[in-house]
Amino acid sequence: MSLIEISLNVNGISQVLRLDTRDRLIDALREGLSLTGTKRGCDDASCGACTVIVNGSARRACVTGVKTLEGADVESIEILAKGLKLHPIQTALIEAGAVQCGYCTPGIAMELKALFDKNLEASREEIIKSLSRHFCRCTGYEAILEGALLAQKRLKENN
Amino acid sequence: MQFKVIGSNVTRPDAVKKITGKALFLDDLSLPGMLYAAILRPDVAHAKILEIDCTEAAAMPGVVKVVTGEGCDFRYGDNIRDLTPMAVDKVRYAGEPLAAVIAVSKRAAQDALKLIKVKLEPLPIYTDARDAIKEGACVIHELNGQFEALPKFGGKPNTNIANEYRLRKGDIAAGFAKAAHIIEGEFDYPISSSAAIEPHGAIAWFHEDGSIECWSSSICPFIIRDELARAYKLPLSSVRVHIPELGGCFGYKSDITVEQTVAWIASFVPGRPVKWVASRKEDFTSTLVGNGLRIKMRLGATAQGKFTALETRILHTTGAYADTGVHVCIAATHNSTGAYEFENCDFEGISVYTNTTPVGAYRGYGHQCSQFAVELLIHRLARQMGLDPFELREMNYLGPGKVTALGENLYETNGDIRACVKIVRDEIWGKAKPDNDEEYVYGRGFSAVMKSPKGAPFSTKGVYLKFNLDGSVCINAGGAEVGQGLRNVARQIAAERLKISPDRISVYTEIDTQFSPYEWQTIGSMFTVQGGRAIMRACDKAIAMLKRTASQVLRLDEDLLVYDGDFVYLSTDPSFRVSVPEIARGYIYPDGVTVGDMVQTTADMRLPRYSNFDHNGQGALGVSYTFGAQACELKIHRKTGQIVIEHFASSFDIGRVINPIQLRGQIAGGVVMGIGATLTEVLRFDELGVMTNPHFSKYRFPNINDAPKKQSIIFVENPEDIGPYGARGIGEHPVIGVAPAICDAIYDALGLDIDELPVSKDLLLQALEKTA
Repeated sequence: MSLIEISLNVNGISQVLRLDTRDRLIDALREGLSLTGTKRGCDDASCGACTVIVNGSARRACVTGVKTLEGADVESIEILAKGLKLHPIQTALIEAGAVQCGYCTPGIAMELKALFDKNLEASREEIIKSLSRHFCRCTGYEAILEGALLAQKRLKENN
Repeated sequence: MQFKVIGSNVTRPDAVKKITGKALFLDDLSLPGMLYAAILRPDVAHAKILEIDCTEAAAMPGVVKVVTGEGCDFRYGDNIRDLTPMAVDKVRYAGEPLAAVIAVSKRAAQDALKLIKVKLEPLPIYTDARDAIKEGACVIHELNGQFEALPKFGGKPNTNIANEYRLRKGDIAAGFAKAAHIIEGEFDYPISSSAAIEPHGAIAWFHEDGSIECWSSSICPFIIRDELARAYKLPLSSVRVHIPELGGCFGYKSDITVEQTVAWIASFVPGRPVKWVASRKEDFTSTLVGNGLRIKMRLGATAQGKFTALETRILHTTGAYADTGVHVCIAATHNSTGAYEFENCDFEGISVYTNTTPVGAYRGYGHQCSQFAVELLIHRLARQMGLDPFELREMNYLGPGKVTALGENLYETNGDIRACVKIVRDEIWGKAKPDNDEEYVYGRGFSAVMKSPKGAPFSTKGVYLKFNLDGSVCINAGGAEVGQGLRNVARQIAAERLKISPDRISVYTEIDTQFSPYEWQTIGSMFTVQGGRAIMRACDKAIAMLKRTASQVLRLDEDLLVYDGDFVYLSTDPSFRVSVPEIARGYIYPDGVTVGDMVQTTADMRLPRYSNFDHNGQGALGVSYTFGAQACELKIHRKTGQIVIEHFASSFDIGRVINPIQLRGQIAGGVVMGIGATLTEVLRFDELGVMTNPHFSKYRFPNINDAPKKQSIIFVENPEDIGPYGARGIGEHPVIGVAPAICDAIYDALGLDIDELPVSKDLLLQALEKTA
């Protein structure tokens, strides 16, 4: 086992972490920083439950090696709500009935944040393409898509 | 009936915690001094254990202990006690726990695990019940037939038959003698996984005071409690089981499985909590898998099309242990009539030990397997008879005045299947089918659905209700929230009954056997029915207590008092009144003298007159039925064979809609789960009995592109007398009709009969070639 020191900016706070060189970003977040909102579902980047934003892009934390992350900006689900105020993506997903067991939900919310931060004009097809990186066993996806479209509409109105 | 809260889209109480990532699931929990376990699994599915050498692993830094099954002197299970927490002497499937490392970190435990050396002597391997049941097959359990089991349950000594269930209704020979048409077939609904996105896991902690505490991502805290207490010879009150938020279940987190293994491991390090969470691979190989049923069926009908007889023979690849799978086979067997009446039935369900991961509950609990068979046979019979399949079905539906295979009489309160059939027919056949084009061929298909719950004589659901001093209410129940939204259902039923806003009712966030009321287990789509009725009972008791106190305060007879949520008042003169907050803890007079009780109530509900099956395999095992219909329109890509579900319609006689958005979510999700089971999902084993695709990258789980382009979800509401406000169970039901409806549509498109799931791409491509 060998350890390395990594500086990360996580949800706006600079942190120095001592990690196993084999660790993935999900280990750093969940075990190193107790940011347990990022969920572990598969370990092979298939399910999307661990999706976070690294330097502005959606990434699967379960396959993102920590060695590559020196100085990176990382956003996890915990950054989305501001105090008691939920992010429009969050309220929209709730209203659409997209939250059932809630295990895939943080990853989906972060995927949508990455998408809309970059391109608020994303087409329905682009939204579906982003959502196709996520597994949900509960909803059958229609409420998630509806929530995503509603969030986009609200974000555009707020702009 | 006018409702204020029932039927409205109250936002679920757990939504905010889940969407902010703050809901606590099992793997999010961390306890002081917690250790981590990693578990070694054999690379062969059936073998004698010759030696397990742990010395090197035990010497690794960070390792606290290495444990094996040696010395384990108990077996466990809630149906057939054939399970051990770790392999003892033999391994019986490739995912079985063989040894475990306990270490200060997950990484240290996993690193040390690789240093354990195991010597195994291979034995013959059976991954299919058809092989394991053969005369002369190597016996997987030497003690088969001697395991403690429920009455009428158990295996045949010196064979791999773990259980045999038979049902007889009427006279099968006479039934077939009356038949002018007989059709038969053999169908396979293979092994797959419930595959919740949250993997299964547990924490166990043997305290120095002799008690055990356990946390699990399970839906059966009380079964875990009871079985741990039994294994470690403790009073039930000395075992405490916690259930945090659950990231989905769909069946396989039921019974007791991984908890007993984690407890066994933790028993070697008393005083320290030990956590183990399945990797995705282990979640597939080493928790419970689903289905695995092979169904032979023969159906007879008169010249006009009235069904006269049904013979069902089910062979179940139950896995290395039958405790969790035995009821799946039984339920598949007695529900194999689907939504139809057969006067004469002869059914047999044989559970067979195999060297595969044990089968457990999977959404639908066997109904989807045997009804896949009966529905496809009915499609084929209609073809053979030259009859419209809807007309053929119409002659045979179960309904008022009909008798199920179990011998249960049905009434109007059991719902109206014909209303559901009409709805989905109008949805799918109400418009012309598109003509085949250069790219696609098109098809439409249908399935009726019948589902009864899985109960037990003691399968009760309890509720604790507490009025607070301001008239707000707290409710505790034992129903496991797996995402289906039952806590919101509980809140809406209580709000309706207590005539207060749901905002004034808080519901439990976790289950704790110390503080929660008893619930058998949250299975069989029965929480709304039983838990909901229990909540109504608890509310009624609370209202009665409020009235009793009010009658003292107001000096009026109780029967003249009215409760409206805010006040209790005299029906003839509402000016004589007292507010609920004034009497919620008894009434305190100005001088401090108090009368009446603190309003806290308990209630429970079991299925009325549920019974075990008798010598004919019949009995009141269903009690509460839900009927429905599902249909779809699909297109098949001529070149690739890819199936696109254009429109899927589902209709169920739900009795009463409690929360429309949640209900729609249940159906929409269930349909997509059914699409996975029909088109892509299967777990395969190699010749050593090792699962070859236990990863999401290899197990084709449906994503948003596999979902129907449109779902129509429409409910019929003929209230039932058992459930709250007439509501019936619905959670598992939408999975059941998906495979037969899709396969019917494939036939419609291609003239291809499907017998085995998932639908073979090769068969589709061959059939497509013929149409080209």
